[in-house]
Amino acid sequence: MTKFIAASSISQQILKSAKLSADLPINTLIYGQTGVGKKLLAKEILPNALTINGKDLEKLIIAKQIDLATHSEIVIVNVGSVINVEEFFSHLKNIKLVGINLDKNDRFNQYFAIKIEIPSLEERVEDLQELIEIYKQEAMGIYNINLSLKNINLDLSGNGVTLKQSIYKSILLQSITTNDMLQTMEMYLTKKLKDGKTYRDLLEIFEVPLLKAAKKVYKSQLQMADKLEINRITLRKKIHQYFGEL
Amino acid sequence: MTIYEELLEHDLNPFMLFDGDGKIKNFNKEAEFLLNFVSPKELFNLAVSYASQTFGFRREFISLSYDKQTFYAILVGYVSDDEIVLRLYKEVSGTKMLKIDTNLKETNIFTLIELSKSTTLLGSNILIEEIYDVSIPLLKLNVNEFLLSLNNIFEQIKDAKNITLRVYLKTGEYEVINKKKYKIIAIEFVSKDKIEFYPLKVEAGKNDLLHVTSNKNSIKLELPLIV
Repeated sequence: MTKFIAASSISQQILKSAKLSADLPINTLIYGQTGVGKKLLAKEILPNALTINGKDLEKLIIAKQIDLATHSEIVIVNVGSVINVEEFFSHLKNIKLVGINLDKNDRFNQYFAIKIEIPSLEERVEDLQELIEIYKQEAMGIYNINLSLKNINLDLSGNGVTLKQSIYKSILLQSITTNDMLQTMEMYLTKKLKDGKTYRDLLEIFEVPLLKAAKKVYKSQLQMADKLEINRITLRKKIHQYFGEL
Repeated sequence: MTIYEELLEHDLNPFMLFDGDGKIKNFNKEAEFLLNFVSPKELFNLAVSYASQTFGFRREFISLSYDKQTFYAILVGYVSDDEIVLRLYKEVSGTKMLKIDTNLKETNIFTLIELSKSTTLLGSNILIEEIYDVSIPLLKLNVNEFLLSLNNIFEQIKDAKNITLRVYLKTGEYEVINKKKYKIIAIEFVSKDKIEFYPLKVEAGKNDLLHVTSNKNSIKLELPLIV
């Protein structure tokens, strides 16, 4: 992803504001939750600027290890991590800044004439749909598989970051072949055996997903026992044994 | 005009003479200026409320503020039931010589208003009726401080339902900076409902060229038109 997605009206307004502020001699603060697109929006304002963490920049300034005269624009990530705010900004007076932070912190209110809040993806439905489509196409291209959206578990807890992870994970898991599975199991079991696990300990790796899958596919324990060709009493014992995990 | 009348006419402090019904019978130049910001009725009520119980004059040290002017005392007097006189004493100790900031940048004021509005009111349901005098040319101002002041105003009106936003050049009023006269641009926010406005803490004394005033249902930001 290299561009800020602006499919919803609120994002279009945000992008318009960002482009307006790009042409003005002012500092801009972009804030919002993790994964909402703050860095991408900062790139729309200052595409060629140095991007650096606030704390790191503060250390470099104190240690005089950065020549600020060579920079006319800087994107400061996690600007809230700066400790001595007044001193820090006094060194950056002639530089156009874009600050990125999780919240609109009053400590640096006066240093940013414009503050842009990017709402979460859940509040930007059109952007969310476009992002899902982009990540889905990317992941399906990599894993060479075709899936519909209903088979993908979406995680929006960290907006774009967890959305991308969840789409890639869903698609990866569904593209796994028997051979991939055997290899994965072998790697996992090797590690666990080295940790001293026994046959009985490791049996749940096989039995828990099998019983969960059977519960989804068959309607009753009677049918499960019949189709899995195991004794009903043994099945009940297993279900009782893995009670919390099923 | 007698010398006494001339003295009153040229006094730096506003003076007004009301009849018993509150109509202005006489006033000086300063009072004429003051009447641009405050109604005769309000001043008459002020005079009546501070008048002495019997005929005579009463001076009271009170702090009053109308638009950009502040007063530290008033004098109210009457010698009959037909006339009452009011004089306001202007606060002058805080007056500074205005200087043009060195950080002024030429810009379009409407772009800045649009930027401040769109970022501060993002997601707000407020309806804004914009009445802009588009003949206002590009002007020089301290963009950073102007936007901070404007953001602060938008921030405080964002819960209002309807706002009328007027941007216009004030007629007949000038700001004198370095002995040069500049026209004044006013950005006025008017609501039908009451507005609670708290100016920026850093604003006082930081930029003398931006003036923010407010009353019950309006906030006004004024700045000189420096081109």
